[in-house]
Amino acid sequence: MLNIISRLLFRRCLQAVIVALLVSTVSFFLMHSLSGDLAFRIAAGRYGYDMVTAAAAEAVRAELGLDRPLLQGLLLWWQQLLQFDLGDSYLTSAPVIDEIREQFGHTLQLALSALALSIAIALPVGLVTGLNPHGWLDRVSLALSIILRAFPPFLLGILLILLLSSKLGITNAANASHEHGGLLLPALTLALGLAAVSSRVARDAMVEVRRSAYFNFARTKGLSDLLALLRHGIRNAAVPVIAYLGVQLVFLMEGVIIIESLFAWPGIGHALAHAVFGRDIPMIQGTAIVMGLLFVLCNTLVDIACLVADPRQRYLVTRRADA
Amino acid sequence: MISWWQSLTFARRSGAILLALIVLAALFGPAMATDPVSQNLDRVLRSPSLEQPLGTDHLGRSMLARLVHALQLSFSLALLSVLSAAAIGISLGLLAAWRGGVIEAVLTSIADAVMTLPVLLVVLLFSAFAQGEFWSLYVGLSFALWVEYFRVSRATIKATLVSAPVESARMLGFGNLYLLRRHLLPELAPVVGTLMLFGISTAILALAALGFVGVGLRPPTPELGVMMIELFPYYEEAPWLIASPVVTLGLIMLALALLGGRKEMP
Amino acid sequence: MSAPELKVQDLAVKDGKGNWLVQPCNFTLKPGVALSIIGGSGSGKSLLVHAIMGSLAPGLRASGEIRLGNAASRAEDAAGRRPWWGHTLAMLPQEPWLALNPSMRAGKQVAESYRYVSHARMDMAQARAKARSDLDQLGVAAADGKYPFMLSGGIAQRVAFAATRAGGAQVVIVDEPTKGLDADARDNLLTVLQSVLQNGGSVLTITHDMHVAQVLGGDIMVMRDSNVLEQGPAQQVLENPQHEYTRALLAADPEHWPPATPGQGTGKTILQARGLGKRYGAHTLFSGVDLEIHAGERIAISGPSGAGKTTLGNMLLGLVPPDQGSITIAPGLNPLKLQKLYQDPVSAFAPRLTLKQAFDDIIRLHKLSPATLPRLLARLKLDEALLRRLPSQVSGGELQRLALARILLLSPALIFADEPTSRLDPISQQETMDLLLEMAAANETAVLLVTHDRMLAGRTMHRQIAIQHA
Repeated sequence: MLNIISRLLFRRCLQAVIVALLVSTVSFFLMHSLSGDLAFRIAAGRYGYDMVTAAAAEAVRAELGLDRPLLQGLLLWWQQLLQFDLGDSYLTSAPVIDEIREQFGHTLQLALSALALSIAIALPVGLVTGLNPHGWLDRVSLALSIILRAFPPFLLGILLILLLSSKLGITNAANASHEHGGLLLPALTLALGLAAVSSRVARDAMVEVRRSAYFNFARTKGLSDLLALLRHGIRNAAVPVIAYLGVQLVFLMEGVIIIESLFAWPGIGHALAHAVFGRDIPMIQGTAIVMGLLFVLCNTLVDIACLVADPRQRYLVTRRADA
Repeated sequence: MISWWQSLTFARRSGAILLALIVLAALFGPAMATDPVSQNLDRVLRSPSLEQPLGTDHLGRSMLARLVHALQLSFSLALLSVLSAAAIGISLGLLAAWRGGVIEAVLTSIADAVMTLPVLLVVLLFSAFAQGEFWSLYVGLSFALWVEYFRVSRATIKATLVSAPVESARMLGFGNLYLLRRHLLPELAPVVGTLMLFGISTAILALAALGFVGVGLRPPTPELGVMMIELFPYYEEAPWLIASPVVTLGLIMLALALLGGRKEMP
Repeated sequence: MSAPELKVQDLAVKDGKGNWLVQPCNFTLKPGVALSIIGGSGSGKSLLVHAIMGSLAPGLRASGEIRLGNAASRAEDAAGRRPWWGHTLAMLPQEPWLALNPSMRAGKQVAESYRYVSHARMDMAQARAKARSDLDQLGVAAADGKYPFMLSGGIAQRVAFAATRAGGAQVVIVDEPTKGLDADARDNLLTVLQSVLQNGGSVLTITHDMHVAQVLGGDIMVMRDSNVLEQGPAQQVLENPQHEYTRALLAADPEHWPPATPGQGTGKTILQARGLGKRYGAHTLFSGVDLEIHAGERIAISGPSGAGKTTLGNMLLGLVPPDQGSITIAPGLNPLKLQKLYQDPVSAFAPRLTLKQAFDDIIRLHKLSPATLPRLLARLKLDEALLRRLPSQVSGGELQRLALARILLLSPALIFADEPTSRLDPISQQETMDLLLEMAAANETAVLLVTHDRMLAGRTMHRQIAIQHA
């Protein structure tokens, strides 16, 4: 088991490095393609718009390494990254790492609340509909799920703002998008989108298990329905649901970028959109890398959870490694 | 074609019909509608009428004209990116599965890394190259989407190449071209079809989301996300205005999700 | 303690639209006596036992009466028989591999019957000890701590049997117990079932395997198309079958086929192999296999499951490279003359291509005369209309014959037949084997057969080569 996990960790670490280099390379080329404008803006930020001279801009270019040959510049850029130096923001001049540390907490708070809320909605709904497939509750939950899936987070967010703005006492709906007004609305928006799918995954997993030969055998052996469910149902149904969490993380990441901007939630997604708007390359690179790495980390946790819950996977992984 | 239609469930048929209607509007609407950017400050925020079925916006522009132009824009960009992504992804998948070795290892690890990044993040990164430009969004979308096709086609082709039908076809004397035409592509087609539906909805959505956040296409371009953010402040006075891009986008997503069948969409 | 008598009266099953799936039938299962219900797929035999248990799929309706000892239950009242499950009436499900929970260790799945079902009211530690001793008695002690997917079919079946019996039930229903098992595992299971009978229990078996009915003795009931065709003591039914279908079933059992004449081939040499060996990782499958195949010869490869029978065949066809030894094909022989019949015919055809297209492609590729195909199909008793379908829309027996037709188009010198009939019912098996051998004899084609059915090999092949685990 430990052996399997260490192999998995190695693979994921490698993936993390590739992700970081990939994002960093794109950022590097981004910097080069914007170089003229960039040097001028930075110089202007430093000396004031009236004082910028060609010489000052040239000095900034040299400072950014933009005058070096492309390949040498890229290697230097990578070297900085591998030393965990993400540079300073062009806009605020603060170290990117400090900015991200601040925002990261907000994003984590939002993502975890959304996830918890979605589980609180999806698990009971999935369990009940899975135990009574084709009942009226199942039909209602299916219809709701289809409709909710058609409304991706930002549409849902807009709708919620529009619908609730009068109830929440926000006189001008547009204000809601510019002053952040609490955790509930953004978390709920994300959670509804997540629950729309995961409740169906949980339901299908439950139906699948109840139809399985082993579940029926448990019953004909003489176990009561409750015992059969507890001893043979829940764990097997949990495996696809946990595996699906991995897929949901993508949804959550994308949702975070948009939802944070929509609700002006001061997290990392908001910062990224802001940085793109302001062409703040170190911030773009920093936030994108952190999001990518976070995603790798979450997926690793999901993989491990699957291995713990499903002995088949452990066995297969070991066998494959031996062959 | 007829038997294909008959094989569809009710939900998938409704999705297909809805999508066909929307696509028709996107195809022929712009030619029939008026200029989507010409302003008329004498008729701002009008409610729907016979002359202007969806009303006019805060600058007196025809909402219907803007909407059909936005549809055309969204679908062209989505289709273009999805086709490019599929072409690149499938070719590389084929290459990796058939050749194996270093090529496969390198391509797979790059694909794994790109998969890690949410589509929206990749498109955001690329959009910074040329803000508000069509081409940077197109490149970003294609770059984000190709990995799906790569992964699926590589896995499908690898599995098919060692399957019994291919083994027996080889024993019967058939060559590689035949295997590709009769065995590999037929296996790939349905999977790729489903992926393309999802890809189109992802692309349309990403475009609108970026427009809404202010880093996508720019006003006065008629685009769904841009229209939403422009009309957001007029919600109290004229709620029907913001309703039309929101509902339209919802209908597109619904149609694609219904047509795609019960495959789970993240 | 002997089993209560199970008495079934006017038991019938209908679907939601009112169609009969099982016509009313009557029988009694006495303590210490076996009853075997024999029939092909779709005969209704499986539904019949599910109706007895009260585990029919929703939408199906049972009627009649079921008595177990002093208790009586209307067939409609499935819930009324629920308290019998495990305590007095138990069912060993088919495909034990799927019937065991994949995420629970085998021993625990036996123990829980002792802990939660048995009236003895044990705690978990006692139950685990009981389970271990049961598995030990069945000769599968090693399975205790393993997960089901680590077990072979035969071992999983004995684990499932222990779990079935642990609740204390004396009346045991066994559903298709030999499906997917090799001959050794089948014999093992029959021994276990016989010991149930000797201890006063009773066994109701559903099977399509005549051999099972013969070994268990007792009574036999033959079913087809929802009807009971005949029933009576085993000896009487087997020796003096009244119904034509029963006679056909009996005749289809390889045991009743005329034996093949043994001997060594003398025709032209097709292929020569010297010292063949194959390894998987550190594990040696087989080694030192010598073989010479002559035109028109029939050879069976036998050996326990997992010994590498299929691998050896594939090696001779050039599909798998040997780790040791060499294979020489007769000079001038086109490799296309070596062909293969697959165990699962569905997997040999491109799934989305109509059969017509598949055949046309071959005819075009090898520039054959289009008239060959209709003649060949007629000889194989195949309707040309079948060609309009997809492979998945044709029955297993017909598809296997179509696969045979496909390779016969190339007039092969050697056909490697890899368990070609193991998924077919006995009557289709006989039909397919007959045609394969007839066509092979007509063209002097050599046949290399892999089968786990020793009887089948003995009745059809000239000689056998046995491979053993190294």
